[in-house]
Amino acid sequence: MLKILDFFDYAKSESLWMAHFCTGCCSLEMAAAMGPRYDWERYGYMPTPTPRQADILIITGLVTKKMLPALLRTYAQIPEPKYILALGACSFDGGPYNDSLAVIKNPTEILPADVFVAGCPPKPEAIINGMEEIKQKMKKGVPSAASQGGLWKEMKF
Amino acid sequence: MQTLFNIVVFPGILYILAWTVLLFWFFRKFMAALHKRVGPSFNGPMGTYQTLFDLSKLLTKESITPKGVNPYLFSLMPLLALSIAILPTALIPWTPDITVAKSSYGLLGLVVLIGIEPFILFLTGFGSNNKYSFLGGIRILTQMISMETSFFLAALSPAILFSTLNLNSIIQQSSWLSFAILLPGFVLYFIALLGLLEQPPFNIPDAEQEIVYGFYTEYSGTNYFLLKVSEFSEFMAVFAGAVTLFLGGYKGLFFDGFSFLFAKMLIVAMIMMAIRASTPRITMKQMLMFSWKYLVPLSLVNIAWIMIAKILFFGGM
Amino acid sequence: MDTLKEILSSFESEYIENYKPTWLKVKIAHSADLLQVAKALKESGLKTISTVSATDFIEDNRIEMNYFFEDMLNRRNCWLKCDISRELENCKIDSITPLFKGASWHERETFSMFGVKFTGHDDLRPIIISQDYYGKNPFRKDFDWDTHEANTVENINLIADSFKREEAENEKNIDPNSSETVLNWGPTHPASGPIRLKVHCDGEDIIGIDPDIGFVWRALEHLVTKKDFVGAIVAVERLCFMDNINSMLSYAQAVEEIADVQITEFAKWMRVILGEVARISSHMMGMGGFYNAMGLHTVAMWNMDMREFFLDFLESYSGARIATASIEPGGVRYPLQKEMLVELQAALDKFDNTKEDIRAIFVKNPTMRLRASKLGFITEDEVHDYALCGVVARASGVKTDIRIDEPYAAYDKIKMDYVTQENGSSQDRLIQLFQEIEQSVDIIKQAKEHVEQKIQSKEFNPIKDHMVKVPKKLPKGEAISRVEWARGEVLMHLVTDEKAKSPYRLKMKAPSFNNTMMLNHLLKGKTLSDIPLVFGSLYICQGDLDR
Repeated sequence: MLKILDFFDYAKSESLWMAHFCTGCCSLEMAAAMGPRYDWERYGYMPTPTPRQADILIITGLVTKKMLPALLRTYAQIPEPKYILALGACSFDGGPYNDSLAVIKNPTEILPADVFVAGCPPKPEAIINGMEEIKQKMKKGVPSAASQGGLWKEMKF
Repeated sequence: MQTLFNIVVFPGILYILAWTVLLFWFFRKFMAALHKRVGPSFNGPMGTYQTLFDLSKLLTKESITPKGVNPYLFSLMPLLALSIAILPTALIPWTPDITVAKSSYGLLGLVVLIGIEPFILFLTGFGSNNKYSFLGGIRILTQMISMETSFFLAALSPAILFSTLNLNSIIQQSSWLSFAILLPGFVLYFIALLGLLEQPPFNIPDAEQEIVYGFYTEYSGTNYFLLKVSEFSEFMAVFAGAVTLFLGGYKGLFFDGFSFLFAKMLIVAMIMMAIRASTPRITMKQMLMFSWKYLVPLSLVNIAWIMIAKILFFGGM
Repeated sequence: MDTLKEILSSFESEYIENYKPTWLKVKIAHSADLLQVAKALKESGLKTISTVSATDFIEDNRIEMNYFFEDMLNRRNCWLKCDISRELENCKIDSITPLFKGASWHERETFSMFGVKFTGHDDLRPIIISQDYYGKNPFRKDFDWDTHEANTVENINLIADSFKREEAENEKNIDPNSSETVLNWGPTHPASGPIRLKVHCDGEDIIGIDPDIGFVWRALEHLVTKKDFVGAIVAVERLCFMDNINSMLSYAQAVEEIADVQITEFAKWMRVILGEVARISSHMMGMGGFYNAMGLHTVAMWNMDMREFFLDFLESYSGARIATASIEPGGVRYPLQKEMLVELQAALDKFDNTKEDIRAIFVKNPTMRLRASKLGFITEDEVHDYALCGVVARASGVKTDIRIDEPYAAYDKIKMDYVTQENGSSQDRLIQLFQEIEQSVDIIKQAKEHVEQKIQSKEFNPIKDHMVKVPKKLPKGEAISRVEWARGEVLMHLVTDEKAKSPYRLKMKAPSFNNTMMLNHLLKGKTLSDIPLVFGSLYICQGDLDR
């Protein structure tokens, strides 16, 4: 019995579908990662049209104040277990938009990410590597960071 | 014992699951090749385990029931959709010996069971309490009405030609000559099949770019798994139907067998994927126009042609 | 030009002067005259308003309004200025939207950012800015950002509340017995990207569309004022990553004009090559986006395959695939090595090998024609009225191309002609994209040959010639600079202060803003299936829509 459950856990970690949601410019490199040269489908990643069937949410770079409620709502719509990949400098500290009026400087303090990928924008290889790290975390059974805490639980969305 | 084997293993539940895993993988791999990509590759030989993992994941993931829906309707519909989609497999002669439910009215059962499936999918959209799902449900109903007319008419042509509704005897009587006579019928059946299975250019009910994912939008986890399996078993029923009716079923070059039937089904699937990779979606209006202006009249002409051919080549018998 | 001068001299003005070969710079004395002047200009043939921009001079206690009138066909344009009071009660001016439809959203933007009230505008709601900035005029120099930022969580809750309020209002306003409803097309939608179209629809039929934009508003125009003149290119290139090089080019030209710096010939040719490579990579994404909107991803994939080779060149040149930061005031940032041109040649070869397949399968695709040839018509008059530019304008048959009309960099030495289509349907815009890629490839080939020749003959030194020094502190002045961006005209209006280290005000006009304005006009009375197609064919990037 235990073996069967292990198999399903393994299956979960090997099949990551991402919600189709762009918050910023890194989505351009994400498109390149889906493209012929980098082709992340080799590893089993696939975009899904609706968050209901997704496993991970990708914060593609900057998050503006206006976008945040939509981001949180999308995150809430994803079924458990769910993980978050944060791309680019913007999702860590605002990056080049740190002084901007409208960009949130600490989106991952609000919605903690499991894996950060550096770069502005990160290269497709780096994005795939970030996804692989999420796989490793899932295999080790590390619970997702957003389920552990974060400001998002106190916010309206 | 034989019946139990049929229900559980072949052509029952295990076979359908295996088919779903395999065809899902095949679709992704074939599509990737047309996209100049590789497709699933690192999990198992040529990525064959990938779809197994995908479906296992869906099976054990959280199933969300959205606020404001009737939970029974919402969760019952995928189950109903799956059971109706599986039923036609019982009627199809997989090999000369294996037909689960031998019936002289196999063809009738096949088209009716295939034809009722979109209605269940409409109910899934109807019960989702989501504007996009509802639009998808309405679209699938519209498409069903206009596409099934020509689907039924096209499926009627072998019945008229061979004067039987028995699927096994249709296969037995088929020959190269009958294949040539039925070719227009096969083309019409194939076009209608694209409409029934919501494949491009008729993927209007689950058009991602327009209405998110149509009736699938609110389904997650196990429910989505059931819908996905029912979608693939519908593929199987329709492909097997096409092969049985028009392409000689299990008949092969040197010997008869399941492998020929399977290979023919994959060829039909490949044509479908090639169309999918090169044809954009059309609109609802254009679909209706195409269906009622061209497809249905052509199906009627096809029936007339079958009747003439029957008199010409088979002496009216 | 002389007739324009005559017309303008009948109004009282502070100065009328020639600016660049194709521009006339006027400052009228009384803002009350504006409507009359605009009317006279329109009658004389300047039918297009490129943008409306305000500059806040807090020390002189005035707001200076800038209007950029253009004649797309005859190479004559007018830059009109006037002063209005800075006090909020008196900060008003006549709206020119009744005369120029294209000004509508630009006036709304100026209203949101600076609080300038436009009397006579029929729909003066805030646009772009998020709800917490409503009524606070964030671009004014005395806006206190630190106080505003003190409570971010409250601000975000305010925004979330406003979404909920809107939802409740929709429920209230719509008759439950009718089949009318409001669909949110975006921002979490497979085809939308970060934009929200509020689609009022009756079943599948669209009653009206109200775009809600600002989901990627980064306030770039405000951000550059916090950076120095070179650092500002980081903000400027993030206008839109699909074609970032031409936007940097526009900014660099404006700075060079104020600093009065002449760049080297080699840098000019390099700018042409880099600009066209960026244009190609953007157009390829555009073609892919057009087909993605119809549910076909093959084109996007094939184009992505080709695009990677062009990005390879950019990567070998600058070290980054898309965020190249490769053009800065004074020339181009990096020297050119010989191996980089080999990469470029590989990209050109790849395109030449693939283009016939793309043309045969996708540009001439019958199913696409069936849908797109009857949809999204934009007539020539609408192009002038709504100030559309670039790809969209040329697809409607308007012969406008800033590379030819107002040559910059080395475009005056390149043989090229207008590429136009006739009908202005969605299909024409796709074909236009493809033909422009071909044209750009041709330009690159010319430029590459020229550069190689000159390097051979030692006239260009690719290692040293690429930059000239631009002073860190610029004199007081202002300049406008236009380039033909991938999507159309980018107009940058740069204002500097005496001995300033950073820009005082930078206005960026980008084409997607006007294209999005067209959506309601094009889609009213159509069906839901047409939204993604028209949206995709207008070639909208949310980056330059919100800025």
